[in-house]
Amino acid sequence: MVRSLWTAASGMLAEQTNVDAIANNIANVSTTGFKSQQNEFKTLLYQTLQTKTTSANGATKPTSAQVGLGVRNAAMETIFTQGELEQTDSTTDFAIQGSGLFAVTDGQGNTSYTRNGSFTWALNSSGGVSLTTSDGYPVLDSTGKAISLANTYVSSKITISSDGTLNYPDSSGNAKSLGIKIGVYQFQNPGGLEKEGNSLYQATAASGAAINEATSTAVTKSKLSQGYLEASNVQVADEMVNLITAQRAYELNSKAITASDEMMQQANQLRS
Amino acid sequence: MVKGLYTAYTGMLNEQKRMDIITNNLANTDTTGYKKEGVTNQSFGDVLAYRLKDNSTPGVDPHKMGTMSMGVQLGETYTDYSQGALKQTGNTYDLALSGKGFFAVQYTDKSGATSTMYTRDGNFGLSKEGYLVTQDGDFVLNSNGSKITLDPTKTTKIDSSGNIYQADKLVDKVQITDFADYNYLQKYGEDLYSTAAGASKQTSSAQVTEGYLETSNVQTVSEMVQMIDITRDYQTNQKVIQTIDNTLQVTANQIGKL
Repeated sequence: MVRSLWTAASGMLAEQTNVDAIANNIANVSTTGFKSQQNEFKTLLYQTLQTKTTSANGATKPTSAQVGLGVRNAAMETIFTQGELEQTDSTTDFAIQGSGLFAVTDGQGNTSYTRNGSFTWALNSSGGVSLTTSDGYPVLDSTGKAISLANTYVSSKITISSDGTLNYPDSSGNAKSLGIKIGVYQFQNPGGLEKEGNSLYQATAASGAAINEATSTAVTKSKLSQGYLEASNVQVADEMVNLITAQRAYELNSKAITASDEMMQQANQLRS
Repeated sequence: MVKGLYTAYTGMLNEQKRMDIITNNLANTDTTGYKKEGVTNQSFGDVLAYRLKDNSTPGVDPHKMGTMSMGVQLGETYTDYSQGALKQTGNTYDLALSGKGFFAVQYTDKSGATSTMYTRDGNFGLSKEGYLVTQDGDFVLNSNGSKITLDPTKTTKIDSSGNIYQADKLVDKVQITDFADYNYLQKYGEDLYSTAAGASKQTSSAQVTEGYLETSNVQTVSEMVQMIDITRDYQTNQKVIQTIDNTLQVTANQIGKL
């Protein structure tokens, strides 16, 4: 009896985490470059109820009668599908089409990755301008260095090619390459990236090391679009359906607890 | 009289066990690849009943009255291996099986011993070393029974028969095994099944779908109906015990009283 109480409790706990993840997805429905998350569940260990079991026609079965002890959260999977591109009027907004990510540095040697391409040109310590995120983290180029230019460039005239190369118009107005390419990196298993907040991801053992699109020949290259931002890939209708399922599953488990409790109460009433 | 008390007790005990199994189904309504479980009940073996001190037929003592059963126990727990619905995730290493079959996993227990287990949960990933692993880091096995190594820098595609292609070249094949008799499968937990002695493998006709996961096949309505059934059966047995107790009370306290 106490077994079914704990089993149902594990179910309620798992569904609670499920609702947490769904709520976070819904909260980030307008976050640039957000990738939705999904809970994966696994069964807990099994216990033998009765060693000798017989099938309906009386034959002895090779396995014992077993009961599972509930459920646990196995993983929070990130769903890396493409979000739709939204047009903006800023020349420093970039969107990635494909599976690449931008690389940014926090200034202390740690590299993070992001799909949020809402950048700005900010003044740096050497008097020039650097391409940074809205939080001020410098964006890295394809060689892993922070992208910075002398302050003689008019930042609104800088355009990019679809591979990320920065161009600037010469005296006759023709775009010329500046020899700097915005770094785009891919991961073999993007689901393994660790989320660190602020739309940033960190490479982990599970995700594998970053693959530089500029130097690797094996990967399918992503395309960059200037003046666009990638919207969140959260599907509100899907999340609502998931929310209903999670809430109902939670309710079902609480019913199982009530039922177990009633049964225990009846056992208590045996001796009046 | 006291016989009935113990018979009703086995009834209550049995309903408790049924409740444990139903609750586990309810807890796993969202578990990837979960197959719902059920339980059958069985009466205790019949025993002969005798009537003692019956002098109606001289010379025959004790009188046989026929047989009766003294209670109930679990017959078997069974698993409904029917197909669960597929849900899209879009992740490369999420594999769903349609049809009868299992993925093979090399499971390492806490003491470090390894054994082959089977699962319907295709929520896989890639380890740092490039091995295809489950979420718990156990190795997924290929058709030859060895670990699957992939190049993390190349794009991966997996076709419906489990062939893994990297950069359009066939590199490996995920093992999909079926069993002649599912009665030889034992639940381990963690979505894994182990095999009992005597299990015979056969080739599987299951199809692999990449970017999908198989959902649990638990039907919540039928579980709820069963839960009502169990709680009421439990209550009935409890009433029987109370009735017998009342009768015993009368026997003990009121017989012979003036």
